[in-house]
Amino acid sequence: MLRVEGISKTYGRRAVLDGVSFELRPGEITGLIGPNGAGKTTLFECVAGLLPSDRGRVFGDGKMLAPENRKDILYYVPDGIRPWPDQRLSWMAEFFEHLFARPPGEGARVLESLGLGHLTKSPMGWLSKGESKRALLAFGLLTPQPVLLLDEPFDGLDLRQMRDVMLRLQMESRGGRTLFLSVHELGHAAQVCDRLVLLSAGKTVGEGTVAELRARAGLPETSAIEEVFLALT
Amino acid sequence: MPSLDPTLKRCLMLAKKDTREILASRAYWLMLALLGPLVGHAFLTAVETYAEASRGGALPQGLSPLDGILVPTWGAYDLAATLFFPFVCIRLVADERERGAWSLLLQGPEKASRMLGVKFAVLQAAWMVAWIPGFIAMLMWRGYGGHINALELGNLLTGYALRGALTIAVAMAAAAVSRGAASAAIVCLGFTVGSWALDFAGAVHGGWIEKAAAFTPTNALRSFETGLFAPSKVLLFIVASEMGLALATIWMRLGWRARQRVIATAIMAVVFGIVAVAIAGIPASMETDVSEDRRNSFPPADQALLATIHDPLRVTVHLAPEDPRLTDLERNVLAKLARAMPDFEEVRTSESRTGLFDRNSYGEIWYELAGKRTMSRSTTEAVVLEVIYKLAGKSPPPRADALAYSGYPLDAQPRFVTPLLIVLWPALIAAACWFTVLRRRA
Repeated sequence: MLRVEGISKTYGRRAVLDGVSFELRPGEITGLIGPNGAGKTTLFECVAGLLPSDRGRVFGDGKMLAPENRKDILYYVPDGIRPWPDQRLSWMAEFFEHLFARPPGEGARVLESLGLGHLTKSPMGWLSKGESKRALLAFGLLTPQPVLLLDEPFDGLDLRQMRDVMLRLQMESRGGRTLFLSVHELGHAAQVCDRLVLLSAGKTVGEGTVAELRARAGLPETSAIEEVFLALT
Repeated sequence: MPSLDPTLKRCLMLAKKDTREILASRAYWLMLALLGPLVGHAFLTAVETYAEASRGGALPQGLSPLDGILVPTWGAYDLAATLFFPFVCIRLVADERERGAWSLLLQGPEKASRMLGVKFAVLQAAWMVAWIPGFIAMLMWRGYGGHINALELGNLLTGYALRGALTIAVAMAAAAVSRGAASAAIVCLGFTVGSWALDFAGAVHGGWIEKAAAFTPTNALRSFETGLFAPSKVLLFIVASEMGLALATIWMRLGWRARQRVIATAIMAVVFGIVAVAIAGIPASMETDVSEDRRNSFPPADQALLATIHDPLRVTVHLAPEDPRLTDLERNVLAKLARAMPDFEEVRTSESRTGLFDRNSYGEIWYELAGKRTMSRSTTEAVVLEVIYKLAGKSPPPRADALAYSGYPLDAQPRFVTPLLIVLWPALIAAACWFTVLRRRA
């Protein structure tokens, strides 16, 4: 579906990404995990084409994708942005619905499915961190690209909201969409993701299912994901 | 919108979003509110001054509403285009960029250039909505019994539409390049101060600086204010606006490295320089005098006779750029000659104040036509024309005794200006702002 080969990015003398490679498979949820400063957000921005990488290539269905063409198959929802604070949530959902030629009423349905139905008349600037996070996720779900990249989709959500969002993402994945999430809570990653990409100091240190990563780290089957992570990073 | 083309549908949706963003901006409402008193005060003063000039004596003869009412009233919009409107434009671009909305939009189906084009169109519409106080003033002037020439007003509004377009383009480019509203505001102010400095330098020095200064926003707008439709000024406004929009696209498009953006900017600057020089070379003979009093032309008989002189006329002027005689000569005679004669060339021998002291020939104006040469020191229209006709061997046309343009004197009281434009307009805008923006935030 999507193959990333040797993505590198430096800021000044600091190499943030150093030859990162991995693969996303159709209809799977892949988690990108790594410690703070591992380069997760930079990797997302480079893959999405928003930030030019120094080296590396991205292939979609076997064809190399130039940065400006990557939006044809993938859509990236950044973390920590608070767009259009003066516009009502319902209007922005309607805007995305029209912009991406989605069926009428799809925007309202997605908002409802993420527990935002009661906030549709609120300006975006009034939403709490968790509400804003779900609103951005809703916009991402309204896009038609087959691959969706979500930076920290569970950040700021309470337990119930997190469970609902996980269910919604799994539903999206079952519908055939490929999801790539950066998750800093390893437990959440293991819970929702089919496969994981481990990033440490700008390098891919592991890729596969939890069982595959455990075997690669040479740990017993009973070992927790945290132990696997510590062993590989 | 079922039958529309998908691209058009998306552009309309983007335009709707940008319109909502402008209406949510307190900066726009503030500009609208301030324009009432600004236009109102300018109109009030203009009507009072016009009434004074219209009372008795020979002064009312030739009084033109273009100079007396239209230009001073609409002059408030030059101030708005310079000091207020750039901030409205910057907000629309910089806010989306700083808040991450632009990165969401860039991944959508529309290209950056088209999305910025939509913003440009929406801002241009917002600029024209801000003209409402100006139109109210024009309606009041008509209500007092005042005269408005539609062609003069249309030409003046064309100038202000182009001035608005340039402001939008500069602000959008500044917001795109500087990546922040505060820096963009400084860039815009730098552009304004730079153009003022060029105006000043052009008035003191001659040569290419003076030629370049003729195309600053203020000077370019002055053509429209004097009832002149100059294709070179129109084209330069359009090209500069397009370049600003292209610059914004270069710095806001997806996937380019900083080096690529810098190279594209440099190429664009060179292209703009070449195009600007080509535009500056458009002959004055293509300019059209749309003023009702034909102030930018000689009397029709002279215009017709001058058009028949096909030999090149070369006028060599020994006057410093800051000499008021040169200003008179240029404005009242040479500019008209350039428009009326098929082949005209002006040569300046002095490009600075030092020219006053280094030659005995200072003040001389030499005319060369068909191998003949003569000198005169006069800067008045009648004398210069006589000199040219003598050189060309033509008999001067008979002078019309009566003035073709008798003027439109009007001793009117500026009724309702204060209650309508200075009190009611800001109150209405404040109420509209409350209902659309502030009530939701309260």
